[in-house]
Amino acid sequence: MEQYSILGRIGEGAHGIVFKAKHIETGETVALKKVALRRLEDGIPNQALREIKALQEIEDNQHVSMRGFHVRGQRSEVRGQPHTPPPPPPPLHQVVKLKDVFPHGTGFVLVFDFMLSDLSEVIRNSERPLTPAQVKGYMMMLLKGVAFLHHNNIMHRDLKPANLLISSSGHLKIADFGLARLFSDQGDRLYSHQVATRWYRAPELLYGARKYDEGVDLWAVGCIFGELLNSSPLFPGENDIEQLCCVLRVLGTPTQDSWPEIVELPDYNKITFKENPAIPLEEIVPDTSPQAVDLLYKFLVYPSKQRCSARQALLHPYFFSSPLPAHHSELPIPQRGGRPPRQRLQAPPTDFSLDLPLQKSVVDPALLQGHASCF
Amino acid sequence: MFHNSSHRKYWIFKCEEELDHMRHKANQKFRNKILESGKPGVSESMFLERHGEDVVFRHYERRMLDFCNAFKPVMPKSVVGTALMFFRRFYLNNSVMEYHPRIIMLTCAYLSCKVEEFNVSCTQFVGNLLQESPAGQERVLEQILEFELLLIQQLNFHLVVHNPYRPMEGLLIDLKTRYPTLENPESLRKSADDFLTQAAMTDAGLLFPPSQIALTAILNSALRAGLSIESYLTECLGLKGDKESLSKMYDAMRRMKTLLKKYELPKSEEVNAYKQKLERIHAELATSSNKRKRGYEEDGHVSKEPRITEEEWTDEDLM
Repeated sequence: MEQYSILGRIGEGAHGIVFKAKHIETGETVALKKVALRRLEDGIPNQALREIKALQEIEDNQHVSMRGFHVRGQRSEVRGQPHTPPPPPPPLHQVVKLKDVFPHGTGFVLVFDFMLSDLSEVIRNSERPLTPAQVKGYMMMLLKGVAFLHHNNIMHRDLKPANLLISSSGHLKIADFGLARLFSDQGDRLYSHQVATRWYRAPELLYGARKYDEGVDLWAVGCIFGELLNSSPLFPGENDIEQLCCVLRVLGTPTQDSWPEIVELPDYNKITFKENPAIPLEEIVPDTSPQAVDLLYKFLVYPSKQRCSARQALLHPYFFSSPLPAHHSELPIPQRGGRPPRQRLQAPPTDFSLDLPLQKSVVDPALLQGHASCF
Repeated sequence: MFHNSSHRKYWIFKCEEELDHMRHKANQKFRNKILESGKPGVSESMFLERHGEDVVFRHYERRMLDFCNAFKPVMPKSVVGTALMFFRRFYLNNSVMEYHPRIIMLTCAYLSCKVEEFNVSCTQFVGNLLQESPAGQERVLEQILEFELLLIQQLNFHLVVHNPYRPMEGLLIDLKTRYPTLENPESLRKSADDFLTQAAMTDAGLLFPPSQIALTAILNSALRAGLSIESYLTECLGLKGDKESLSKMYDAMRRMKTLLKKYELPKSEEVNAYKQKLERIHAELATSSNKRKRGYEEDGHVSKEPRITEEEWTDEDLM
């Protein structure tokens, strides 16, 4: 812990406080997630163990050393020192890196890359809807991350905008592996269905499924996609029943034809809905390119196995047609906590747009009173 | 999956000598610590030699296996396998003289339940200590929770263990589908299972990848049944033109079998003698390490009210 100086508090998670801190030796800014163990009757919480488990196995792939910051290549990259050989190309940027984990006091500390913001803030704070190119840029990064996780047999189980962190360079990284599970095709293990934040919860989970697969992540990807397109959540259910209603209203009441597996789900018989037809997604996400709608259709389907895998989705024509995905530098980077960006020397371009009426760019004289004195 | 795991990267070692060396170092580390502390009345003869440590280790490993096998609800094999592996990894760098295996074994089993998503509550867990009174179980639980953090730290936070059970299922399926020469692959299961159980009590898991252990289990089982399925290696596993890999594979199998053959449960007189020595060490020397592992001092937080002083409890109370 002596290697870090705490700069401030970022937030509070289910199992601890997250601090912003500086690694004294390298000057690197990091996020420290403190997992305290006091008052926890069962000892180290499962969520924390899952997070460590998932990230440890990923981390090996990402060429990050465990004990602290021994990643010479990366350091030299930052400082621009040419004498160390360049690191092997990092296989992936889209998953948040666990830089270190060490015991501290009554618990332990997880060290992550510091990330400025998250996608929910981007969606909430953007003054205008994201441009199609920006949505595409985010989707591409999200899918790369998900493809990587699934390739490593990890299902995240809680994908949502708030868990998609945005770095200061505009990169999106998947975080919060508190619900992540290593999955296998072994048929005999049951999973909990109380996973995933409600709005992004796949229909099979809403029906109480205990055996499911990485399709739950792909459903969430579809929900996030829709949210990026609309700047508002696709299925904002207020409770679990209403959540199902939201989904059914758009996708239509499931039938044995459209979703054969439904009859096997635990809660299938517990609740019946009035039959209603599906609403075309074009109407749900208006003003959206046909390709985007087509891709959205591939995620938002009832049978999990029919959902488009992240890998496949990356090859969808959507990503190869105009406008092309925005470069990460073209993506908005709001500040943590939704505070307005710090005053920059150069004002944001919108303030001086040619299209704005002149009055809007002129300083309000009232603001100058008190600072100006009459000679 | 195994290929880029922490298991393969950090917990597979080159040879038996390397493991011996590490354990020797752990033993030495403890001795030096005590000798340097300048405690009065300490003599070299008080310590356990490596052999003594091994005896104690194997004794408690066996007890842990018994505990797991008797566990209610029934523990899946992978939970048991992971617990045993945690135990082995822990004592690679630590001496039984420093941390008493009685509590470490339970901590390993408890952590394994969580890591393998075998969801039992902590009360349910210690409820399996049938000989303990509810108050006694409560005490053991407190100790488990105290050592949990130390354990995952000593495991270097590498929690995912790849057990040989899945590869074995895979190999059986493969035999059924691609190797018609063998009539009834299922007949190999029983003896192969036994092999894996025995292998879990040896260093095999620290020396060989789980798939090789599983393959050895199956080939060994076939051998015992008088079936030769070596052509499976050449015809189905693509080792035909690859003399080098094939001979490496055979070498690994030989080494594994030797490990298993060498294994024997320590004799009870021997165990008792070393255990007495161990208890004395823990009573007299290791007092500092018996103290709580977690500090409550930092952060200026109010420290927790002191817990009931740990009463000495013996193994016999445990089960």
